Amino acid sequence: MDSQLFLDTLLQRSPPHILEHARLVLVPLGLAVLVAFPIGVILTRPQYRRYAGRVMAVLNAGQTVPPLAVIAVFLPFLGLGFRPAVIALTIYALLPIARNTIAGISSVSEDVKEAARGMGMTPWEVFTQVELLLGLPVIMVGIKTSAVLTVGTAVLAALVGGRGMGAVIFAGINFFRPELILAGTLIIGLMAILLERLLTLAEWFILPRHLR
Amino acid sequence: MIELQEVTKTFPGSGTPAVKGVSLQVKSGEICALVGPSGCGKTTILRMINRLVEPSSGSLFIDDQDIMKVNPDHLRRGIGYVIQQIGLLPHRTVEENVALVPRLLKWPEGRIKERVEELLEKVGLDTDEVRKKYPYQLSGGQMQRIGVARALAVDPPVMLMDEPFGAVDPIVRLRLQDEFLKLQQSFKKTICFVTHDMNEAMKMGDKIAIMNGGFLVQHGTPREILAQPANSFVEDLVGEDRGVKLLDLVRVEALMLPREAGTANGRSVQALDSAKKALEVMLEHNVDGVTVCREKQVVGILTWETIKTYVHQAGSEAGG
Amino acid sequence: MSVLLFMINYFHRILEYTVNHFTLVLTVMILSMVLWFSVGVLISRYEMLAGAVLGLGNILFCIPSISLFGLFMTIPQLGLGRRSAVLALVLYAMMPLVRNVYRGIKSVDPRVVEAGQGMGLSSWQLLWQIQVPMAWPVIFAGIRITVVMITGIATVATFIGERNLGRLIHHGITRSNSDMILAGALIVSVVALCLDMLMGLLEKKLVSPGLRYQQRE
Ligand SMILES: Nc1ncnc2c1ncn2[C@@H]1O[C@H](COP(=O)(O)OP(=O)(O)OP(=O)(O)O)[C@@H](O)[C@H]1O
Ligand SMILES: [Mg+2]
Repeated sequence: MDSQLFLDTLLQRSPPHILEHARLVLVPLGLAVLVAFPIGVILTRPQYRRYAGRVMAVLNAGQTVPPLAVIAVFLPFLGLGFRPAVIALTIYALLPIARNTIAGISSVSEDVKEAARGMGMTPWEVFTQVELLLGLPVIMVGIKTSAVLTVGTAVLAALVGGRGMGAVIFAGINFFRPELILAGTLIIGLMAILLERLLTLAEWFILPRHLR
Repeated sequence: MIELQEVTKTFPGSGTPAVKGVSLQVKSGEICALVGPSGCGKTTILRMINRLVEPSSGSLFIDDQDIMKVNPDHLRRGIGYVIQQIGLLPHRTVEENVALVPRLLKWPEGRIKERVEELLEKVGLDTDEVRKKYPYQLSGGQMQRIGVARALAVDPPVMLMDEPFGAVDPIVRLRLQDEFLKLQQSFKKTICFVTHDMNEAMKMGDKIAIMNGGFLVQHGTPREILAQPANSFVEDLVGEDRGVKLLDLVRVEALMLPREAGTANGRSVQALDSAKKALEVMLEHNVDGVTVCREKQVVGILTWETIKTYVHQAGSEAGG
Repeated sequence: MSVLLFMINYFHRILEYTVNHFTLVLTVMILSMVLWFSVGVLISRYEMLAGAVLGLGNILFCIPSISLFGLFMTIPQLGLGRRSAVLALVLYAMMPLVRNVYRGIKSVDPRVVEAGQGMGLSSWQLLWQIQVPMAWPVIFAGIRITVVMITGIATVATFIGERNLGRLIHHGITRSNSDMILAGALIVSVVALCLDMLMGLLEKKLVSPGLRYQQRE
C-alpha cells in the first residue's frame, strides 16, 4: 500500500471529479423526484388507485434490469457522454421514490383524513397539510434510498463517458492500484453520508415543529 | 391444589407493585374465579403460577411442590393454559395446535391422533370439518373451543384460563360456559379462571377471588360474596341487583315450605330449579306462590313472602 | 430482431456466460442464506449486537459494488476472479438478509410467542416452531429482493475477470454494440426472474398456508 499515492489521489486527483460526480447524482435525483413523486401522488388518488398495482409491477420488473445494463442501454441511441448516464440514473432512481410516496400517503389513516375534513379543511388542504405532512417521513426514506443508491451507481457512468468518481475507481481497477480504489470509495462514501444528512436536515425544516 | 403465599410482583421500572401480598388457595377440583377491574393484576397472578412472570417476593405451590424448584418448561407442560383473545398458532392447523404439547412430550403419533379426535369431540366440534383448518378459517367460538381442547391435551390436573370466553358474543359465551362446566363435572380439574365479568365469575367459580389495585379484596364462595360483600368496592362490583343474583344461587328446595302450609295454584317449578326461576314464574303469571315438584311428585310450595324475607335477610347481613 | 440473431450466432458463448452467472449467484445465495440467517437469528436473541451488525450491513451496502470488487481483487489471497466476486456479493447480501430475518422474528406477535412459552416450549423450540415459521414471509421478502439484486450486481464482476453476462454488456459498451448490450440486459433479467421464481417455489413450500392469508390481508 502506497500511502503517498493514496493521499495524492484523495487530495489532488479526485477533487475535479467530485463536482462531476455531484452533478451526476443531483441531476438524476432531482429529475427522478419530479417524475416519481407526481406518479406516486396520482396513484394514491381514489380514482386512480386501482392502477397502482400494475404501475408498481412494471417498476418492480424494471428493477430486475441490472444497473450496468441500464447505464449501457442508452449508449447506442444517445452516444457517449453525460446525457445517457443521467437518463439511466434517473430511471434507476424512480422506483424507491414512487414506492415510498405511495406507501407514505397510503399510511395516513382514513380516520385522520375524515377528522381533517370534519374540521373544515378543503381537499387541497387535506392533501398538503395531512396526507403529505404525515406521509413525509416515509417519502423521505424513499428519496434517501434513491440518493444513496445513485451515488454508488453513478460510478458506472464513467463507462459511458459520464465521468465522475468512476474515472478514479476504474483507473484503480485497470492499473491494479488499491490506493486509487480506496481513496475514491472513501470520497463516494462521504458524499453518500453528506447527501443523506442534508436530506434529513431538509426534512427537519419542512416538518412543522410538533411533528419533528 | 394451587397455593399462593404473600405473593408480590413489582415490574421493573414501575413504582407500585402490580400484585400486593396476595395469599390464596385453590383446592383440588375447584374453580377459583379471579375477578376485578382491568389492570388489577389478574393476568399477572396467572402468569406467576406458570412462571411466565417471576414473583418479586412470596412463594407459590402446586400440590405442595414449590414451583420455583421445578424446571419452568416442564412445569408449563403440566399446566393447561388458555389465553385472553388469541393464542392459537396461526401457522399450524387445528390438529397441529391441539397436538402441540403431546408432541413436546413425545407421545406416539397414533395416540396423539386419537387424543386429538377425542378432544375435538369433547369440546363440541366436528373433527373432520375443523381438523385441517387454520385458525383464520375459524369462528371466534370455534377458536375458543380449540384453545380449551389444546389446554386439555395431556390431561393436566391444573388449568389456568385467562378470559377464555372473552372474545365471543354473549350468547355463544353462555353456551361455552355451560359446556365447560359440564366437562368440569367429569374432569374435576383445579382451575384458576380469570374474568372481569362478575356474572361469569358467579357462574363458573366454586370460589371467587376479588382483586382491586393488586390486592386480594375478598375470597369466598359466590354466596358469601353476595351475602357479605367485604367493602363498598365489592358491593359495587356485585351490583345493585345482588339480591336477585343471590336467588340465582339458591335452589328452590332450600327455601320451600312443606306442602300443607298453604294452597298452591296451578303453576309449578322443579325442586332443583333456582329460586330466581321461581320468582320469574311468579312475575310472569302474576301469582303469589308456586308448587314445587320433584319430577311429577309435588313436594312443597314456595311463596313470594318467603323469597322476600330471604332477599331481605341477605341484604341486612351485608349491611351489618 | 437483430438481438435474437446475435443470441443465435453467439449461442455457445452466451450459454457459458449464463451458466457462469447462474452458478455464481447460486453459490452466493446459498452461502449468504446460511450465514446471514444465522446472524439474523443471533442478533434477534442478543439485542445488544443488533445495532452494530445492522449498521455494518448498511455501511457495506453503501460502498459501490465496483469498489468492493476492485479492493478484493487487489488482495493477493483473493485475486481476480470468483473468490473476490463471491466474497463481495456475500457482503452485499448482508444488509437485506440480516435485516429481514431480524425484523421478521421481531415482528412475530409476542402474544403468540407467549402462548407457546405458556405451553412449555423451550426457547429453542420457540425459535424453530413459532418465531422462524411465522417470520418466513418477511424473510422470504428479503431473500427475493436479494436474489434479484445480486443477479444484477454480479454483472459488475466482469471487471475483475468473471466470465458472466456482465461481459456481454461490458464488451457491448466498448464496441458500441447495442445488440450485445440488449442481449446481456435481457438475459440477466430472465436469470433474475428465474431465480426469483425458484425462491418463490421454496417460499411456497415453507410458508404455512395459515400465514399466506394474513399476508394478503
Ligand atoms: N410485562 C409487564 N411489564 C410492566 N408492567 C406490566 C407487565 N404486565 C403487566 N403490567 C402491569 O401490571 C398491572 C396488572 O396487569 P395485568 O395484566 O395483571 O392486569 P389484568 O387484571 O389482567 O387486566 P385486564 O383485565 O385488562 O387483562 C398493570 O398495571 C399492567 O400495566
Ligand atoms: Mg388480563
